[in-house]
Amino acid sequence: MRLQFIIAILIFFPVLLLQTTIIPLISIGTIAPNIIIILLVIYTVKIGQIFGTVLGFVFGFLFDLITGSILGSAMIAKTIAGFSAGYFSSETKQNIYLKPVNFASIVFLSALIYSIIYSLFSALDFTTNVLKLLFEHALLPALFTAVISLFLIFFYPSRKLF
Amino acid sequence: MIRLFTNLWEKFKEYIILILLILISLILLTQNQSAGVKKVRTIAFGTFASVTSVFNDIFNTSSIRKENENLRRTNAELMLQISKLREYGIVAEDLKEMLALRDTSILPLIPASIVSKSLSVAQGTVTVNAGSADGVKPGMPLINHSGLVGIIQSTSENYSISRTLQNVDLKVTVKCERTGEHAVMRWNGESLVMINIPKTYQIQKGDRIVTSEISSIIPVPIPVGIAADFGKVETGIFNEITVVPFVDFFRVEHVFILGILKSKQIDDLELNFFNK
Repeated sequence: MRLQFIIAILIFFPVLLLQTTIIPLISIGTIAPNIIIILLVIYTVKIGQIFGTVLGFVFGFLFDLITGSILGSAMIAKTIAGFSAGYFSSETKQNIYLKPVNFASIVFLSALIYSIIYSLFSALDFTTNVLKLLFEHALLPALFTAVISLFLIFFYPSRKLF
Repeated sequence: MIRLFTNLWEKFKEYIILILLILISLILLTQNQSAGVKKVRTIAFGTFASVTSVFNDIFNTSSIRKENENLRRTNAELMLQISKLREYGIVAEDLKEMLALRDTSILPLIPASIVSKSLSVAQGTVTVNAGSADGVKPGMPLINHSGLVGIIQSTSENYSISRTLQNVDLKVTVKCERTGEHAVMRWNGESLVMINIPKTYQIQKGDRIVTSEISSIIPVPIPVGIAADFGKVETGIFNEITVVPFVDFFRVEHVFILGILKSKQIDDLELNFFNK
């Protein structure tokens, strides 16, 4: 468990590198996929809810430190996203949850929760249209992340496609 | 008692851990401005940025980089000169003499490239490969040939983090170039808006918006954008004006840091917005 945790954190850095250098190139305006959430969901589904919650916390802490965003905002959002994804971690149903469509749905849910909470803690001005903000800054990025996760899960070893 | 806690832990350990971690996050949220956090952050992003810059270089061909840099420098200098000339054209010559305005067209420009971006909805930041060793200091404006990109937030030896205009924590005093009317501009998570504009102001759609010389951060006029839409026209005594920025924040790669800081004495006297 401890080794897996260290490996997850080591994998986080190249993923963050991709998130801050390559992902902006494929983003559509402000809508960008969040591949860190995909990594978090993979680990949470594979290992468990507590692991996912703590990993989300650490990912968020490192993300806030490195990208210069408000320290604590991504921590809370990723902790809760990891916790939410944890409801889909079960040793007996792991293969079901790692099927592409199921996995993309879990990623979508986690990314949506992450985006909403992160937006709240980033002190957005909600005098503008809240529904429009949620649509553009939570729903669409979550959908984009889910689509990307569909492609990534195909390369994930030891899972059954159907 | 111990058995009770053990039972509680066994039954609700997921929730206990979640609450504990959220509490720690909330405590850290209140510690953002502490010196310790700032120091740790500087080390963290400095280290990561050095790796990112190597990765980023793969996408840049070295042969044309130098030539591009020279061209961009010329462009940025011309942009600043044009901005200054526009300013001069609007203000009468005799008033300028009275005010004894100095020619500040030659401004120190520190070239830099963006090595990473955080495409956050509310907290847009970029990391650039110029730091305190190059003379960069927190509070210096980040520009490109189109106009203002952001303000340097913190620096390490070789890298700096800048808040872009798409950051809710950055508020800049701007003015309408045509009318000279001042306002505070901020990012509301969706667009750049000039807030609390009295309805008596003469700003019109299409007017150029530049940074104001009364700004506590940027003491020279740098182009920001074009006044686009008017909000809250029907209600209240103030308007909101949406500004379409000149800079494309998603595509900007090469920038300059304007190596100027407003006088420390003035800074101490005025409200400083960048250090929120």
